[in-house]
Amino acid sequence: MSYCVNCGVELESSLVSCPLCNTPVINPNELPYVKKASPYPEEMGQVEVVKRKDWAILLSVVCGATALTCGLLNFLVFNQNMWSLLVIGICIIIWVAAFPAIVYTKLPIYVSLLADGASIAVYLYMITYVTHSDRWFFSLALPIVVIILCIAEIITLLGRKVSHTFLPSAVYLFGGVAILCVSIELLIDRFTGNKPALSWSAIVLTVCVIIEIALITILSRRRFRDAVRRRLHF
Amino acid sequence: MASQKNNRAERREWYKLDLSAIVYPTLQRKDFSSVYRLSVILKEEIQPEILQQAVDTALKRFPTYKAAIRKGLFWRYLEPNVRPGPFVQPDIKNPCMPMPFKANNRYLIRIYYHHCRIALEAHHSLGDGTGGMCVLQTITAVYLRLLGHKISCGGFVLDVDETPDPEELEDAYIRYANAQVRPPRPGEKTYRVRGTKEPFYTLNIIDGILSVKEIAKVASSYDATITEYLNACLLYALMQKQQHDWHKKLRPVKIAMPVNLRRFFPSKTLRNFITMVYPSIDPRLGEYTFEEIITQVHFYMRYYINEKFLRGDITTNAATQQNPVIRVIPLFIKDFVVRLFYTKVQDKNSSAGLTNMGALKVPEDMKPFIERFDIYMGQPFSSRTNCAIISFEDILTINFASSIKESDVERYFFKKLVQDGIHVKIESNREMED
Repeated sequence: MSYCVNCGVELESSLVSCPLCNTPVINPNELPYVKKASPYPEEMGQVEVVKRKDWAILLSVVCGATALTCGLLNFLVFNQNMWSLLVIGICIIIWVAAFPAIVYTKLPIYVSLLADGASIAVYLYMITYVTHSDRWFFSLALPIVVIILCIAEIITLLGRKVSHTFLPSAVYLFGGVAILCVSIELLIDRFTGNKPALSWSAIVLTVCVIIEIALITILSRRRFRDAVRRRLHF
Repeated sequence: MASQKNNRAERREWYKLDLSAIVYPTLQRKDFSSVYRLSVILKEEIQPEILQQAVDTALKRFPTYKAAIRKGLFWRYLEPNVRPGPFVQPDIKNPCMPMPFKANNRYLIRIYYHHCRIALEAHHSLGDGTGGMCVLQTITAVYLRLLGHKISCGGFVLDVDETPDPEELEDAYIRYANAQVRPPRPGEKTYRVRGTKEPFYTLNIIDGILSVKEIAKVASSYDATITEYLNACLLYALMQKQQHDWHKKLRPVKIAMPVNLRRFFPSKTLRNFITMVYPSIDPRLGEYTFEEIITQVHFYMRYYINEKFLRGDITTNAATQQNPVIRVIPLFIKDFVVRLFYTKVQDKNSSAGLTNMGALKVPEDMKPFIERFDIYMGQPFSSRTNCAIISFEDILTINFASSIKESDVERYFFKKLVQDGIHVKIESNREMED
């Protein structure tokens, strides 16, 4: 029978220190020390993972059936052009987007973003079969998808590794919008054969830079930061 | 043919969630469920196979506990669960783990065994501690009967061969929500214990085991009941913690204490039938001595815990649920609003939780097999500590559960008991750092 010299409570025989104040139990009469069995088990429990197998099957069947039936309809009945590719592409996008939510929930977010980007790029490429030209895809659509994907990955990385609170998220977002607009305008210029120059995107860039400067100032001053958080809390 | 019809009728059976139960599923998070635990320590080692038989036999008597929760368009509801289970399992170090509604074959109860202990964990949307205690004691009685002992029914032990009384399954709140006025809900920011959050899946437990006679003697020396005395001790501990910690300004110290409404409104219900009262002190008015705190708690209890005030409280709570506009709002909007209200107002309304199940009665022929009972309020919604008290014969157990590293409140609390000359034995699942 041991007592905590600090709290005065009796301690259960398996305890090596007082759970209330962390004072170690030393009983000179009980040396060498033999550890007694705790009244609590050693094993930690884990929450059971909910299986969404039914939803995964349903989604796969619905997407697969839609794609297949539209493909057959296109091949056998309305076969003027390859319109079914548009439906099949949408089915692929929906399935890929839903994959991390209902099929494999442990998929890292970076991989699922990459898969989403890839499925959108595939869909856009399928459209080239309907438009009979793939120039717009390689010189405009694909680079825009790649840039959006890179920005989304970087914002996710910053949100996870640096900070995901309201103000830093706004900094990432406005930075991303500015880069995207400038890139889109330069790509359009290249596509149309004009000399690369900034016009409308320069206005967006200026507005974003002003907002970024304001946000960074607020973030760097604790007093500002607290005031904004106080007024915008929800 | 007739049995097929009966089966269909059974399948169609479903239960609306009671007034309290509506809130608990709304607060469900990946790392939080409103789960409480009741456990009984027997004098012999538990035999899992026999315990499983006892669970299978006893649970048929409790249709609202052998149930799964489902979502409707406007409200959630309970429906009978015919899937296999629930299965008994070896106990774990971190009880009251989150309970996802779709896991564990959709059962909202878990039954554990460890040496001489049988533990029942139940989601609060099924029922309160009294309902849970009926389930646990009935399982224990059936278990002992299967071992060859003669155990009679009565009190919390129900007859497993009887069909459930409809009153046991009813929402008793609605029957008594008939006051003419609706007293406003108290809403004030209170002192919050600051602490270092433990990693996910950790629940720190500290149990204090005391003699009922000793504590009753000390409580009567202050002209208080045991509940009033322990409430005052917890307020005193929280007040000391606030004084010793750094804070911008002092805040009132309040305890959220569930009151068993069956004491005031006759009901056999096994579902939730509790309401909250909030004994408090306000250190902004000046420093309190322990005697002043106990006087404050004593008169607060006398003033608020009576049939009239409690009826008003039930009526206030029921009014929201019965409002025709609120009833037709889709569930996801209700969930959002209730969660927001709970996080921003209700949760900040108390500094700690304390429940006292009181002196437990068991049938006379069951007494020799039982060592003691334990009760845990489960994981707190925010970083604070919950205290639950239960007594059986001369053993009173005070069970603290928290998900923060610091145990200052518990230390101040038990130190006060020791200072008053009460012998306290401590058990814990905590692993202290060197």
